Amino acid sequence: MKTVYILPTGDEIKNGTVLDLDAPEIVRMTVKEYPECEVIRMCPLLDIEDTIFNKISEIAQREPDLIVLIGGSGGGHRFSKTLGKDFTHSALERYLDEYSSHEIYGKNGHMWSKLVCGKKGPTTIINVPGPFVEASAAFGAYLNALSQNKDVNGISLAMAEAVLAQYPTGAASL
Amino acid sequence: MENMEHEYIIAHADKSVLKISGLKVKGLNTKQLEEILSEKLHTFVRVIGVTGDNIEMDVYDIDPEQVRKNEAGLIESLALAEGITTTDITKMLCSDKIVEVDYDSIPDEPISACARERWMKRQ
Repeated sequence: MKTVYILPTGDEIKNGTVLDLDAPEIVRMTVKEYPECEVIRMCPLLDIEDTIFNKISEIAQREPDLIVLIGGSGGGHRFSKTLGKDFTHSALERYLDEYSSHEIYGKNGHMWSKLVCGKKGPTTIINVPGPFVEASAAFGAYLNALSQNKDVNGISLAMAEAVLAQYPTGAASL
Repeated sequence: MENMEHEYIIAHADKSVLKISGLKVKGLNTKQLEEILSEKLHTFVRVIGVTGDNIEMDVYDIDPEQVRKNEAGLIESLALAEGITTTDITKMLCSDKIVEVDYDSIPDEPISACARERWMKRQ
């Protein structure tokens, strides 16, 4: 892996209400595994689907090995008006022609997280949830799946299982 | 390219939503806040929404009454996290546990990508 772009999303990250802890952790994890990799953390994006879509398109034209979107992976505003707007998965679905996805639902029917993994040319594009433990678990699973040469289905499943393991779920069903 | 998978996973976890309002929030260290509250409540806590004056969190496997009874102590603990200032109007509201829905009664897409929303629209 030679080049990685990290795209944090979220109004609260962009305006500094919340510290961006995820991007530095993803940088650390990447550099630990790939010491020569160039990792670029982009300016955080507002929770606007077109903004996220356009930025993915712009970065993908540079043909990096990986683009990681952070945050906005749940049902968010679709479920509760007090929650942020979650658009990274829908922007990715619009952008990618082919992708694998795994959705984690709570028993209340709320989509807690949707992990998407796809390819555009030479670039792999993934998203990770915003909560720190979930983001680091998902990205760790990505790195592990990559080292095992898993395809996008395998990567997406590994990331979803890693996120699921961060909940006190008891049993989980597919 | 190989066949693409689109799978659903159901997480069978009990949770309540904890909302704290009347705060001043700037540069919040969410990881530190989750650790402080997890230690205090002896359970998993996940920050799910933050604005300049309130924080929304998921609290797993806990009796909401236990959270409500400890309101003063919990608000005091919050102030230990980087990026939070409590005020004299800081309040805590803890919801009842989430209610399980019948997945067989949830309409299919494309009404919405969120099953909860699809379920509500069906009512």
